[in-house]
Amino acid sequence: MPKRVAIVATIYEYLSHGQHIGDRFLVGYPWEGRWRKPDLQVVSLYVDQKPKGDLSAERAREFGFPVYPTIAETLRCGGDKLAVDAALIIGEHGDYPDNEIGQKLYPRYEFFKQCVAVFEKDGRTVPVYNDKHLSYSFEKAKWMVDQSRRLGFPMLAGSSIPVTWRLPDVDMPYGAEVQEALAVGFGRYDHTDFHALEGMQCMIERRKGGETGVRRVELLEGDAVWKAADARAWSNDLLVAALSRSDTPGGLTREDGRTQDLVTSGQLRKITKNPSAWLIERNDGLKTTLLMLPGTVKDFTFAARLKGRSAILSTQFFASPEPNVTYSACLAHKVAEMFETGKAPYPVERTLLVTGIIESGMRSRGRAVETPHLAVRYRGPAASQYARS
Amino acid sequence: MSHAPITRRRLIGAAAAVPTLVAQPRHRRPRVAAIASIYHKFAHAQHICDRFLIGYGWNGAHHQPEIDLVSLWVDQVKANDLSRARAREFAVMKVYPTIAEALTLGTGKLAVDGVLLIGEHGDYPDNEKGQKLYPRYEFFREIVKVFEASGRGVPLFNDKHLSWKWEWAREMYDTSRRLGFPFMAGSSLPVTWRTPSIDMPYGAPVREALCVFGGWIDGGDIHAFETLHCMSERRKGGESGVRSVQAYRGENFWQALEKGAWSQALMEAAMCRSHQLKPSRKGFNNDFPSLEAMKRMSNNPYAYVVEHTDGLRSAIVALPGVVGDFCFAARIDGRKEPLSTQMYLPMPPAQTTLANFFSPQVNNLEKMFLTGKPSYPVERTLLTTGLTAAGVESLYQREKLIKTPHLESVAYTAPKESTFWRT
Repeated sequence: MPKRVAIVATIYEYLSHGQHIGDRFLVGYPWEGRWRKPDLQVVSLYVDQKPKGDLSAERAREFGFPVYPTIAETLRCGGDKLAVDAALIIGEHGDYPDNEIGQKLYPRYEFFKQCVAVFEKDGRTVPVYNDKHLSYSFEKAKWMVDQSRRLGFPMLAGSSIPVTWRLPDVDMPYGAEVQEALAVGFGRYDHTDFHALEGMQCMIERRKGGETGVRRVELLEGDAVWKAADARAWSNDLLVAALSRSDTPGGLTREDGRTQDLVTSGQLRKITKNPSAWLIERNDGLKTTLLMLPGTVKDFTFAARLKGRSAILSTQFFASPEPNVTYSACLAHKVAEMFETGKAPYPVERTLLVTGIIESGMRSRGRAVETPHLAVRYRGPAASQYARS
Repeated sequence: MSHAPITRRRLIGAAAAVPTLVAQPRHRRPRVAAIASIYHKFAHAQHICDRFLIGYGWNGAHHQPEIDLVSLWVDQVKANDLSRARAREFAVMKVYPTIAEALTLGTGKLAVDGVLLIGEHGDYPDNEKGQKLYPRYEFFREIVKVFEASGRGVPLFNDKHLSWKWEWAREMYDTSRRLGFPFMAGSSLPVTWRTPSIDMPYGAPVREALCVFGGWIDGGDIHAFETLHCMSERRKGGESGVRSVQAYRGENFWQALEKGAWSQALMEAAMCRSHQLKPSRKGFNNDFPSLEAMKRMSNNPYAYVVEHTDGLRSAIVALPGVVGDFCFAARIDGRKEPLSTQMYLPMPPAQTTLANFFSPQVNNLEKMFLTGKPSYPVERTLLTTGLTAAGVESLYQREKLIKTPHLESVAYTAPKESTFWRT
């Protein structure tokens, strides 16, 4: 008997996360050279919004499951007791307001809370996956993780960036002494920064001693970024290394196709319109930086200096092209793995910490804030979790 | 036409016959000339030459080759030309009016240590078979004239297939052996990233191998054959040469698939590596197409099925409208699941701004220019050139089986060390 899955999504329209992750549980996905159909059956769906282009009714008809009007009914499949074996929460995309600091108020916490209410009332729990960060609020996110611990259900969350293909195929050596780490991303706050931060986090959490949490966050913008660069807030060679992994530089490359050493040539400062820098200091003293360079690159890259190793470790997290976005197959497989085995393949604390970093950074733009609440300590598994076979 | 097998002994013999043409030791940065059909944004010459002039990302740094690209000759200069602007910007490189002058730097004698022959893109006619008549052979002959007049040859790289015409390709190869200069050629597909990052286990008993791609007669066929061969040449016994090539197109393609001219299971295994599989149904972004859907979606599919002299069956399978990237799969004796991977082209402008698959190709060229040793055998590209021509011929002759006695002798052994991009 396949395990029964409920999907709880903000929306289900073409190329929304709800669709491109949810569909993989309906039509399968490419995995290790075959088309894998996990031993799972989607039995119910909740969608919070049905914009023009909504596919939920069409999917329900074709794959033979109902769309329920509430989350509780979705988990109970219209009955009076929890009637599924797993819940897939996808609260990305849809029309939701921003808060005063520019975070999109996706109702992930609210969805999760309703799931937990059903678990408690019905005296049974099931594994839960939460897409992207847990919430716009660390406090809410912490509550979510606490419930999974208190009630003892497996929980997985986060981005596909940690689990997608890498160019090159390298992981942080487990137990490495990381001296400094830097990620480069693009796009906007509370959106793509999350992917870039999770990319960095999945690498550095493998360092000696594991993740110790974050004690200070500072989000710099505009000219303050270049001033910080001049003051050596991060190592230039790490930035060069990360950018050397990019396939998407702008400026002269866009003009005439040429390769560029953006940092040494000075082009980086000329072409980057609205840079931001996330300076993130860890409790064990490790300095980490995320540089968001919108308009300059359109991919996620990473570089780190390790003790006892002269070469910088660097790679690109491969955000494979639309419409297939096969990176979401890599993520769906990890979710399926948890649903099938009842074990989360990597700790949800990764996403909890990144959720907190984003909120702290966005609340404190331009000044450093101490973050004692982000003392999130955890260790990831030694086995690599990204797509490589 | 037939030739004696290409053996190592024969190669050494050929080189030894003209000792005067062996490159002399150097004590300065090597100087390289580029001979190109055209130099505009996204032309191969731009991708390759720019990497010599400007450097490129490599091993986590911006790498500047220890080589000077000192001269350039361009066959076609049009409104979108970049060669003149590049020559102004990079004083090290001068544009010359003839191939001979680009190689002699106006001294009357060969004055460079390596040559890039990049005959891709530009306005050249097609023949009745659909082959673009790029003048690679003609450029090669001009280059060799200078080598012969100077009594010395230098390492030469030929981009993509050697020629559209087999006899000319064979002559180019034989000339390189006769004169004893290092010769490298081919596509960037064999050296680019792979997802997953795997190679054919060296010496594997390969039963069947294929490459699925988006199709493009002649120009894309060579890429697909190179994708296939950089893997299958590592099989037990090495590459044995080819007996025949058979094309199938349109309705015959589907019939051949049904009859097992190539394995459907293997084709589907390759497709499961694709990052560019066209959705077969509206509203779905990544579903696996049924055979009926493939038939509906594909626009004039074709395949070339190849019989190798050691019994290996291989194929390139073009599914335009279904697959957009180059995917490989092989059945290996003693292994339950097929071995499969995708050779990744970060292709601008749709997906990227930089065609970084040229970086590992240029890196291998640098190695040849610095050491005089090609990273991989030119026999691969001699064979893929012959296969491309034979496949196109089979299509042209209404899918007639083309016997290839001239390819039976193109046997070679690949190096054990992997040469694709992994770091």
